[in-house]
Amino acid sequence: MKRGAFQRGLSLFWWLMLAFLYLPLAVIVFYSFNSANSAAYFAGFSLRWYERLLNNDQLLDALSNSLTLGIASSIIALIVGTLIGYGMYRHRSRKLGWLIVLIYLPIVMPDIVFGISDMAFFITLDREFGILGPSLMTMIIAHVTFQIPFVALIVYSRFVGLDPTLFEAAKDLYASPFQRARHFLLPTLKPSLIAAFFLSFTLSIDDFVISFFTAGPENATLPIYIWGAIRRGVSPEINAIATLMIGAVVIAAVFSLLFNRRGHAGS
Amino acid sequence: MPRRTITTPVALLLGTLALSGSALAQDDNKLYLFNWTEYMDPDIIQAFEDKYDVEVVQSYYNSLPEMTAKLNAGGDSQYDVIFPSNYYVPRLIHSGLVQKLDKSEIPNLGNVMEQFADPAYDPGAEYSVPYQWGISGIVYDTDTFPDAPKSWSLLFDPDVNPDQPFALMGDGQVTMGGACAYLGKGYDCTNPDDWKAAAKLVLDTKHRDTFSGFTDGTPVLQQIQRGVVRAGVSYNGDYLQQKEQNPEAFKHIAFMIPEEGTEMWVDTMMIPAKAPHPKLAHEFINFILDAKIGAQLSNYIYYASPNKAAQPDLDTVLTEPPVLPSDEDQGHLKFTPSLEGQNLQLFQQLWTEVQSR
Amino acid sequence: MNHTSESPYPLARHSHSMSPDTRHLLWSVAPGVAWIVIFLVLPSLYLIGVAFMTNGPYGQPQMPLSLDAFRQLAGFGFLGWSPGNLYTLLRSLWQTLVATGLVILVAYPLAYYISTCRDKLRPIMLLAVVVPSWTNQVIRAFGWMNLLSPGTPLADAAQALGLIGPNMGLYPSNFAVTLGLIYNFLPFMVLPLYAAFEKLDMALVEAARDLYASPVRAFWHAVFPQTLSGLLAGTVLVSIPAFGMYVIPELLGGGKAMMLGNLVANQFSGGSNWPLGAAGALIMLVATFGGLYAMRKVGKRLGGGEEVVI
Repeated sequence: MKRGAFQRGLSLFWWLMLAFLYLPLAVIVFYSFNSANSAAYFAGFSLRWYERLLNNDQLLDALSNSLTLGIASSIIALIVGTLIGYGMYRHRSRKLGWLIVLIYLPIVMPDIVFGISDMAFFITLDREFGILGPSLMTMIIAHVTFQIPFVALIVYSRFVGLDPTLFEAAKDLYASPFQRARHFLLPTLKPSLIAAFFLSFTLSIDDFVISFFTAGPENATLPIYIWGAIRRGVSPEINAIATLMIGAVVIAAVFSLLFNRRGHAGS
Repeated sequence: MPRRTITTPVALLLGTLALSGSALAQDDNKLYLFNWTEYMDPDIIQAFEDKYDVEVVQSYYNSLPEMTAKLNAGGDSQYDVIFPSNYYVPRLIHSGLVQKLDKSEIPNLGNVMEQFADPAYDPGAEYSVPYQWGISGIVYDTDTFPDAPKSWSLLFDPDVNPDQPFALMGDGQVTMGGACAYLGKGYDCTNPDDWKAAAKLVLDTKHRDTFSGFTDGTPVLQQIQRGVVRAGVSYNGDYLQQKEQNPEAFKHIAFMIPEEGTEMWVDTMMIPAKAPHPKLAHEFINFILDAKIGAQLSNYIYYASPNKAAQPDLDTVLTEPPVLPSDEDQGHLKFTPSLEGQNLQLFQQLWTEVQSR
Repeated sequence: MNHTSESPYPLARHSHSMSPDTRHLLWSVAPGVAWIVIFLVLPSLYLIGVAFMTNGPYGQPQMPLSLDAFRQLAGFGFLGWSPGNLYTLLRSLWQTLVATGLVILVAYPLAYYISTCRDKLRPIMLLAVVVPSWTNQVIRAFGWMNLLSPGTPLADAAQALGLIGPNMGLYPSNFAVTLGLIYNFLPFMVLPLYAAFEKLDMALVEAARDLYASPVRAFWHAVFPQTLSGLLAGTVLVSIPAFGMYVIPELLGGGKAMMLGNLVANQFSGGSNWPLGAAGALIMLVATFGGLYAMRKVGKRLGGGEEVVI
């Protein structure tokens, strides 16, 4: 009896917290369809803010910057990170404490320190040697730096989950290391590589602080653009673009759920 | 195995870096402007692009500290024209962030009004050309404050405004100047003791429950429209521009010049020291100084023009308050003092103190 | 993850001789190691160096080396001593403490509840908790700005209850910052706690229920110790980024709730005092690594040698 009440209380708490988690997002979505420029009252349904998005060149530039940054950095991070993950696995019997510390460094470093260190570093390089002034390239470099650890850890844990006799079998089967990589390593790793790429991409799109401090004048990403718009005095277009970004996240969530389901059913 | 797996990614990596590097090489057909938000007529940009067959890339800032930080952060080699206000001009000159103008490249210089031709902030106008001038004043909701005094007390006196949310300006020099003016020390005070008193007033004000934050001049107009604040500090031209665009929402929002004194500013055009396209930058400055373009600019952004030749083509709204204030109000206007060296550091410490407590 | 332990797979070990093995290790990890060293370790060291330089007239760091920045951080300047920066420091600590504490209070029952639900539901529930944190933090803070500004139902309710004055909103305020922090970091606590609850040894819990009279004591002796590692991991994940938070105080604090992250950022954007900003960043680094070290120690002692890994 008492336990039942306890469970019911917990269930109520769960729904309350769910409301807490989704209310701020729901408000954005709701007011993105508001015909009036207000977050206090709803004047009627309208798509005018979405129409304005399509004609906003700056915003489209920001979108393309975000995508370029996300894809370029994820590709580089995937290559470099996979190598580290592989090295970590192959040599896990050694004392690699220094490597672990180094790999965790970008994860534990506070964003603001990360961003400002890089900014100060790049600016000084630019001033002294004329290289690496704040630009899309410096943003890519910074993003790769915080993506590498995640790729490395995903790849590493995939290797750890494998039956080690497979490696021996592959060694017998394929003569050259290249063949082995192509016919054994890559196919085995494929799911984790895809996962790592998408995680890297998500991290990149999500990042604001590090991008903000390493960006050049022409490299505003979507979050930087939104930040600027909020600081300028919010225009309701922000609700619309934010709604689209929230929508993308929800779609990604549904996909990850389906993907996992299928994965479970298959195994 | 190792060698081959390494070389491919390294090659790829270098390739990517090289690609993004070459994409960065500055295009000769581009002009990079670094301007205040809502401070340019897009048609003028279009006209310039058409006339010179170039592309104009605009970036924006909300405050002068923000602009300076970006310039320090490598912006001095990335922008071609910047638009700093008078009190930042000496600072930029002395820190070497801007370059001398080549006056022979700006034949339209003769169009500049006499009172702006040899300004105190840039003797001989060696580095700067005036762009627009305006006033920082108090914007407030006339429904909530039907009998608002023409005074900073609307912001600084809790008896005058006991229970309505309000904002102060994010640019510390303007807010401190306002506090100085309210205390009777004059808007352009620089005496450390006056500053300390002003800082204390701002701190007390900030700790009032109804203080809603430090908000810059353009965003505060949005906030006041949305009812987030009922009073704040903004610029006459931005106020007018938004009022013309949205007369309904601004029916009950007024702009006021406090009698204790407030800021008159001149925004200038300057060329950063390592601007990628200095020649095009000069062309642009000259273009803005054209009589027709100058009038078009002011008619669009609702600020007073320092361009003598443009005056005949200005809309009537630009020849009356709040753009051109009454003689009495003009007497209350002061330039914001330009700070340097020890004085600047002292001010910055005070301002940080105000922000953090 | 105990990387230094003996490999459980003997096959993978004896197949290499030493020297090419080392070369292999170097080749595979070298690009990544070099990347992190050049683009994170070096810049951080440079920043630490800047903290010991002198502030130039326009905010650029200059020689000679000095401790000026730290003196300023402690409040000593042209004006004699004034505690503004210490306020900021204390406010950051306080906000971190309050937010972490409240996140634990909320996450604990939440994680427990999820672990008691049906197998099929659990991944969906976890996802539901995590999805909001996939959106950008600027967008999330913006959502709260919309919810808390004057004239919204929440602000009206707070006015009716007399929590805030008439005409006011719930933001900007310290309260809004705390709320924003809780919102931002809740998933970071729920996930590790859930992992701990999932592994909970129910036999032990049943035994404790028989052994101890009160459910509180049973919880304290049987359940709580088993979730400690999750709690510690969550605390690390929440408190470290909370202490360095920049976006939330900037958007939801409105200049009333400045935290260390804002003090640091302001020195590089506008305030222009690189050495002071770098000194603040150094404090943040010390707090981060000190905190991690302390948590590890505590985790080792309480978790019976089990390492808490993030």
